[in-house]
Amino acid sequence: MTSASLDLILASTLISQGAEAKVYKAKLSSDPSDSEILLKHRFRKGYRHPTLDGSLTRARVAGEARALLKCLRAGVNVPGVRMVDAAEGVLGIEWIHGQSVRKLLPGGAGEDEDASGDSEPEAADALREYDIPVDALMQLIGQEIAKMHLADVIHGDLTTSNMMLRHPSSFKSRHPTLSTELVLIDFGLSFHSSLVEDKAVDLYVLERAFSSTHPDSEPLFASVLRAYEQRMGKDWAAIGRRLEDVRMRGRKRSMVG
Amino acid sequence: MESYQLLHFPPHLSCVHAALYTNVSDSDSLRKRLVAASTAEGPAGERERDAVNFSFIEARLITSVKHLRTAVYQAVLAETQGALRTKTVHSEIIWALNPTNNISEAMRRYGVSDTSTALVVVRVCGPDLSTETVERDMDAVVKGTKVPFTELQQLTDWAAVKKYHKLGGEAAIRDAKDDIEHEHAIVDGIVVSSVAMKSVSG
Repeated sequence: MTSASLDLILASTLISQGAEAKVYKAKLSSDPSDSEILLKHRFRKGYRHPTLDGSLTRARVAGEARALLKCLRAGVNVPGVRMVDAAEGVLGIEWIHGQSVRKLLPGGAGEDEDASGDSEPEAADALREYDIPVDALMQLIGQEIAKMHLADVIHGDLTTSNMMLRHPSSFKSRHPTLSTELVLIDFGLSFHSSLVEDKAVDLYVLERAFSSTHPDSEPLFASVLRAYEQRMGKDWAAIGRRLEDVRMRGRKRSMVG
Repeated sequence: MESYQLLHFPPHLSCVHAALYTNVSDSDSLRKRLVAASTAEGPAGERERDAVNFSFIEARLITSVKHLRTAVYQAVLAETQGALRTKTVHSEIIWALNPTNNISEAMRRYGVSDTSTALVVVRVCGPDLSTETVERDMDAVVKGTKVPFTELQQLTDWAAVKKYHKLGGEAAIRDAKDDIEHEHAIVDGIVVSSVAMKSVSG
């Protein structure tokens, strides 16, 4: 290993691995006051030609970093960027202390276990720690997505796993009544678009994620949409109508006709 | 002065020393000295370049220690990859701080200018150079009062930062306008992220 970023990864703790990237917890300097960061390493894909692999990796790291900055500028809660090494496919972002929304809602906690019977009280307990009623959480989700769509950023993979609540002890909340904050994460599939279609599909993907992960999700998602509608203002009408269409036909537009 | 190690870089780039000076009285002569040193020839030129081998940064444009460290990290990373846009890792730090790709603009804004009264001075080196030596050399170059980095917040010129990063009309800033402390935190967040991703900002 000759690259500084690969050395950094070697010294970091692996958090999880997907098909596209590995995620680590890391520290950039020796200073104990320096906060930890999250490293997302888009590792080399042996099944791709090296030249193609390099340019795809660079473009995706750059795309993700740009989407995060765009969101920050628009006031969307996302992790800040901390380091970028596009040549090695490494993106360093702010470490969010907290929990994914998926694990805080009924049905999402027992991801790998089949002991689903006791997952509901667990989720309720976890939410108490964050001191937020379920309906307030749904409103935060709707507002945050609306802010993102108003900035013409499409997330591309909206699920309850890709949203986190900051732990009340990890930051100073500015909200008058809430001690937590919703943060959107994983902009790996995000892109820029002002099209009503893309925004409606983004919402549809989340609706499907809700219904496949959390039991009795209809009132939950309805609450998300209400908050989204309120924040979007005049832009909602067209997106709402299109969402109806997307529900009828699914995520992909028909290529026939 | 504060010092820390970048743990995963080659030894000769692994130590970072930084100090904050206020009441700097000689910034005009310091700037002239830097310009002269860059073109001086012979062994005397080498000695002079060695004496001013630091990054001299306009402190009022630095929003936090994280802002500074992020620029240092990306500059050193560029050096290890042979991807410097400027001549040295010290000038690269200044380039990394400026939102645009224009080198002379970066030096004019983020480097020492004739009117600078507060400077952040940074040295990136190996462990062979002792902390005491670096501190002595820094003190020899800058005429000012060395203060802890906690003073940085009082020096930041937020209006200039917002102007250079074109943040005036951004939704994030408008949302936070009633709470000045919150606004500063938002600006710092955007500025740090901008520096971190400058290499791919396109």
